[in-house]
Amino acid sequence: MAGQIKRLIDTIITQRAKGNTTIMYTTKAKLTLKGVNPDLFSDTSADDPETINRLKGIAAELGVTIA
Amino acid sequence: MAIKQVYSLQETKLVAGDFKKQLGSFSPSVVLFFASVSHDHSLLNTELQKAFPGAKIFGCSTAGEIVTGKMLSNAVVCMCFDKETIADAHIEVLENIASEDRVPETFKKFETYFKTPIKDMDVSQYVGIILIDGMSGAEERVMDRIGNLTDISFIGGSAGDDLQFKKTFVSSGGKAYSGAAVLALLKPVNGFDFLKTQSFSSTGKKLKATDVDETARTVHAFDGKPAMQAYAQVLGVSLADAGQKFMTNPVGLKVGEEFYVRSPQQPQGQSLRFYCNIKKGMELDVLVSRDIVQDTRIALDAKKKELGLIRGIIDFHCILRTLELRQKNQCDAYGKLFEGIPAIGFSTYGEEFIGHINQTSTMLIFK
Repeated sequence: MAGQIKRLIDTIITQRAKGNTTIMYTTKAKLTLKGVNPDLFSDTSADDPETINRLKGIAAELGVTIA
Repeated sequence: MAIKQVYSLQETKLVAGDFKKQLGSFSPSVVLFFASVSHDHSLLNTELQKAFPGAKIFGCSTAGEIVTGKMLSNAVVCMCFDKETIADAHIEVLENIASEDRVPETFKKFETYFKTPIKDMDVSQYVGIILIDGMSGAEERVMDRIGNLTDISFIGGSAGDDLQFKKTFVSSGGKAYSGAAVLALLKPVNGFDFLKTQSFSSTGKKLKATDVDETARTVHAFDGKPAMQAYAQVLGVSLADAGQKFMTNPVGLKVGEEFYVRSPQQPQGQSLRFYCNIKKGMELDVLVSRDIVQDTRIALDAKKKELGLIRGIIDFHCILRTLELRQKNQCDAYGKLFEGIPAIGFSTYGEEFIGHINQTSTMLIFK
């Protein structure tokens, strides 16, 4: 399977930013500083379980609900 | 309506009086100061509080001071705001930051003061300033916690101690603290903006951290090789010469077109200690330095053109940039970049903007 990491990243950024482009950028920067660089993942990136778990943790820290 | 900057080279006891004299009838409601550790910070706080009894006063110690047109040493620089420039402000101190997480309770106090949940505060109306003990090693954790709880931007710097690396101070409410951070939440009347400039380009080469001790800000291995060996190899220098490249060739996390710089501090055997943390798996660009004065001038000119009027600038300026400016005899040229604009700043032990970063100028700009 592929693309789950990108979907999680997009969910975090979208939910946190609520359409505010400045917050989109700062959320992207926060993710990068937390160790997951959104630019390194695409729809075809493999579903690495370690990265997925890390992103779920980051989502919880940021108060974002992952379905 | 005004933002006024003043500075003093007087002995500590006389600084507040010197400021009052320079400010004349101007009555500030918020006072921000940056002072060399050559001053007694307890005495300085007491005297400032006496001189400006109605004002909210905060500040920190430095590794060099900046004021409109000048870079200084052993000075106190101060920016004063009236009610027509900062509509409201609340300042809190977080003590014991190395061992305790006081950010949530601090944010509760902001919510109580401003009568608004922090999550509902308009990020275009509020801005935060963070001044944090530069010897605490707690900057990443505190900034991460702030970033989790709010989208309001907190910008600031790690307090310095004139390169003694012994004890730094942050101040609020007439008292100086070590092992602490000061958070100020401001509501500027005319809006604000940021400028982040780091004067580096990518070499096109990359290093991936594969073994780290995040808490110790140490990388043991890049790309599976001992960190010092990998760093030397990527720059094409011998292991013995690699240390000489630290200032001109730090590494950077790339976000969009921006770099968040992590500066090497010193070798630890085959490992490499940085001035801020690097997490396992981070892919870093190897950077090369550009001219700080020229780059900052271009960035400031672009911001002036974009905003039209700039009422004030607070510059959190990395000590490593200051050391490079001193080495190249460019301090005067850097200071002059701010001529005509009310500006203060200080040479920091790290800059705070979204996270903890190095070798950067992060500036808060008042429109």
